[in-house]
Amino acid sequence: MPERSESVAKHIEALHRGFDLWPTLPFHPPALGDARWTEELILSTWVQAQTGRPPASGLEYRVGRSRGGFDCLEFSFLPEDRWLAEEAPIDTSIPLNRRSDGPQPRIEIPVPWYGAGMSFGSISEQVMLARAKAAQRWRTFTCTGEGGYPESLLPYKEHVITQVATGMFGVREETILWAPIVEFKYAQGAKPGLGGHLLGDKVTAAVARMRESLPWVSLFSPFPFHSVYSVEDHKKHLDWIRAIHPQALLSVKVSTPNDVDMVAVGSYYAGAHILHLDGGYGGTGAAPEIAKKNIAMPIELAIPKVHRFLEHEGIRDELVLMASGGIRTAYDLAKAIALGADGVVLGTAELVALGCTRCGNCERGRGCPFGLTTTDPELSLLVDPEWGAERIGKLYASFEFELREILRRLGLSSVRALRGRTDLLRYRRAEGGPDGTA
Amino acid sequence: MLETRVPEEAPLGSERGYRRYHILTRPAPERFPIPPRFRVRVKKHRLVALVFKELLEYRGNLKVALSRPCVYGVFGGPLGGLTPREHLCVGCLRCCVQYPEVVQIQPNPLRKRLGDSYLRPEYVDTLLYEARTGRVPVRGAGWRGAFGGEGWDSMWTDMSEIVRPTRDGIHGREFISTQVDLGEKPGFLRFDARGEPTGPLPRVVSLPLPFLFDAPPPTAPPPLLEVLSEAARRLGTLAILPLPVCLEWGLQGSWVVPVVSEADWGEMERMRWRPQLVELEGWHPGRYAELRRRLEGSVVAVRVPMHADLSAMVQAGVRVFHLCADYHGTSGGRFAAGLLRETHARLVQAGLREEVSLLGSGGVVMAEHVPKAILCGLDAVALDTALWVALQARFEGECRSRREARVEFPSLEPSWGVQRLLNLANSWRDQLLEVLGAMGLREVRRLRGELGRAMFQEELEHEAFADIEGYAG
Ligand code: SF4
Ligand code: SF4
Repeated sequence: MPERSESVAKHIEALHRGFDLWPTLPFHPPALGDARWTEELILSTWVQAQTGRPPASGLEYRVGRSRGGFDCLEFSFLPEDRWLAEEAPIDTSIPLNRRSDGPQPRIEIPVPWYGAGMSFGSISEQVMLARAKAAQRWRTFTCTGEGGYPESLLPYKEHVITQVATGMFGVREETILWAPIVEFKYAQGAKPGLGGHLLGDKVTAAVARMRESLPWVSLFSPFPFHSVYSVEDHKKHLDWIRAIHPQALLSVKVSTPNDVDMVAVGSYYAGAHILHLDGGYGGTGAAPEIAKKNIAMPIELAIPKVHRFLEHEGIRDELVLMASGGIRTAYDLAKAIALGADGVVLGTAELVALGCTRCGNCERGRGCPFGLTTTDPELSLLVDPEWGAERIGKLYASFEFELREILRRLGLSSVRALRGRTDLLRYRRAEGGPDGTA
Repeated sequence: MLETRVPEEAPLGSERGYRRYHILTRPAPERFPIPPRFRVRVKKHRLVALVFKELLEYRGNLKVALSRPCVYGVFGGPLGGLTPREHLCVGCLRCCVQYPEVVQIQPNPLRKRLGDSYLRPEYVDTLLYEARTGRVPVRGAGWRGAFGGEGWDSMWTDMSEIVRPTRDGIHGREFISTQVDLGEKPGFLRFDARGEPTGPLPRVVSLPLPFLFDAPPPTAPPPLLEVLSEAARRLGTLAILPLPVCLEWGLQGSWVVPVVSEADWGEMERMRWRPQLVELEGWHPGRYAELRRRLEGSVVAVRVPMHADLSAMVQAGVRVFHLCADYHGTSGGRFAAGLLRETHARLVQAGLREEVSLLGSGGVVMAEHVPKAILCGLDAVALDTALWVALQARFEGECRSRREARVEFPSLEPSWGVQRLLNLANSWRDQLLEVLGAMGLREVRRLRGELGRAMFQEELEHEAFADIEGYAG
């Protein structure tokens, strides 16, 4: 990796100071935030990434102002005298292999989340490393995304999921063999029905080498897998991975169409261990605005649909349901589980922990000015992998703390007991203007 | 006659032989300044102090001391941060994260005043981008807006996970047709003993795009009329204009759709061209029959409010309707989506849906509204306010009522205006291809009324949340 200049060091120092300072100021940056990720959610994520705890200053850290979904759900906590004791043991682990067939190992993660696929090229290698280090420390996973597997991740390979997507960029036999979990990305929530899209400016020589393509030429992943026109074809794909790496768990990442419940059942019969549902409102890479907002349903609506259908089919306890696409806070993740998911997959929240302001300029010019979604050699240096791992780890610590608090107040000693407990939720209709403002 | 004429170019699709439909886009930057998105407020004395402090800290190393956080050149002018170049600011906030005591970035309140409560400022931004570039708006970082909402925002379109034999849009592999047919399409044909058709024959106008241009308000300046007409001609679509306006400004051609009202009936004598489509304003059975007789070969549509009951007109043989909502998409106090679904369903129940064409207008202001309106039952959409915003018109107050809306049109340079509308059309068509491609539909005609491929917030929420305390549906 290139060396930092004195200018870069100056900016890193000023940025770190800013991340710490802003949440403590009596006013918020007026241009920060949006209805989903409000300024308070962004600032409170920075606090959590700094301290490992939710803010005590009154900053909102649980919900945004999107006027629907998670932002209209809240937990019906027990009266305080029925909460579990503070020292009571609470299990936040989940299994990732619940199938009763097959030789694959029974992998468990101690927290009900792992990191989403973000490809080399769409984010910098430094950010990938930061995520991998955090995943290793927390004994959970991160995912390569579809841009290949940089060898710098190899020390963390027990905690890295290899993604196989339609473009097959950088997919080789060894990258499959390195991974305890292989994820097939059929679709992604931010651009359902459309392939991945990496603009030429980000395809540096290193990215092109990794993806086995040409530098500075835009890359489009096709959609869909052109060898998959049926559930049988889908099974053929999973069998192909199984033949190469029989021990790997298989995850299938899909978007949220009308028939997402049927897709889930099809994936189960094809042999998937994990169904990763990616709702429409998340996403870290570039996507057409029309796709983000309009195509496919938000994750809050897809989870119960799939959970109930799997129950109805009698296979709910054989398939792990991981949800993503707009999980911003510990409360979102707990609500996703109460709606029927086993766990969640985090993407944007990790980037916000590293300083993302959600400005949406990831694809403009040299890429992210904070060094996150960029391959610019100088900008990438703004994120030191060790600093990044620390920030993501602290965010995880805060999420774990909050999840334990939620479970304690619900009288549950295991996160597994929260799954599908919609009776513990309450719906509160939003008031105010279109973005929730008064 | 209009004095300034747009240089004519051949309309799309007029070439001999097969040519794939393609809209030629060219950059067409705004002609009138738009307020920058952000205001960059620099405390100048603090900036100077900061530079001095850093000069000391970095031992006079100017390169380090003057290295600024903005990578977009806002502080790259001759005087750096003392005269920030606001128009370059993209609101990334890196500068104010690093130096909160020196610089603040604020959303520009002037920008927030663009549009109105329906055509919101962010829609204006999008339309300007589309008209400027002809491209599909792409951004990072996921969806930033509300969960769902009112009107078109309360529905999502479906996608197909694996079984998806078509693809167009950005990859351009397989062809997805955006052609629609408007007209009278009898359910079957009758022939006599010699094999000659005896019954009514189809009268159909085929358009390469499922959108047309609707009539602008009476305050529209003549160059706007010319721009609408010429852009429609080049796109191979239609421009709807009041008959007296067509006559006064010499806007004639098969692509011009005259709207004939009872009051203008006398003007019919002066009509010298054969339109493909003509609209009768309101329902007048006698006038309808006369129009059909006079303009044999033209498709005759009846223009009525979107909430109108069509049954008497259908019974009287009308087969093409232009259903008009106000500019906020409501008619008779209800939003277009629900009204269209009901009208479509009634025609399906009557077994007439395939014979009837529904054109709709009002409230379709974003690219995604086109497929949503078609999903609800329209065959094609007539565009209005979105076109004017693309041409940098400004609303004075709420632009809702078709009669009372006050729209300030800028002085137009016609060829610039035509290019802006071509760009907008291309962007919207490409976005339509994205939506159709995601669904696996090979043609937009199959989208019409295909409610199984639409997802409504109310229904999905009911399914997901019905058993949750406090959810009242
Ligand atoms: S460009 Fe903006 S939205 Fe994208 S990662 Fe960077 S800070 Fe976040
Ligand atoms: S907000 Fe970003 S683009 Fe705007 S001046 Fe600051 S650094 Fe530059």
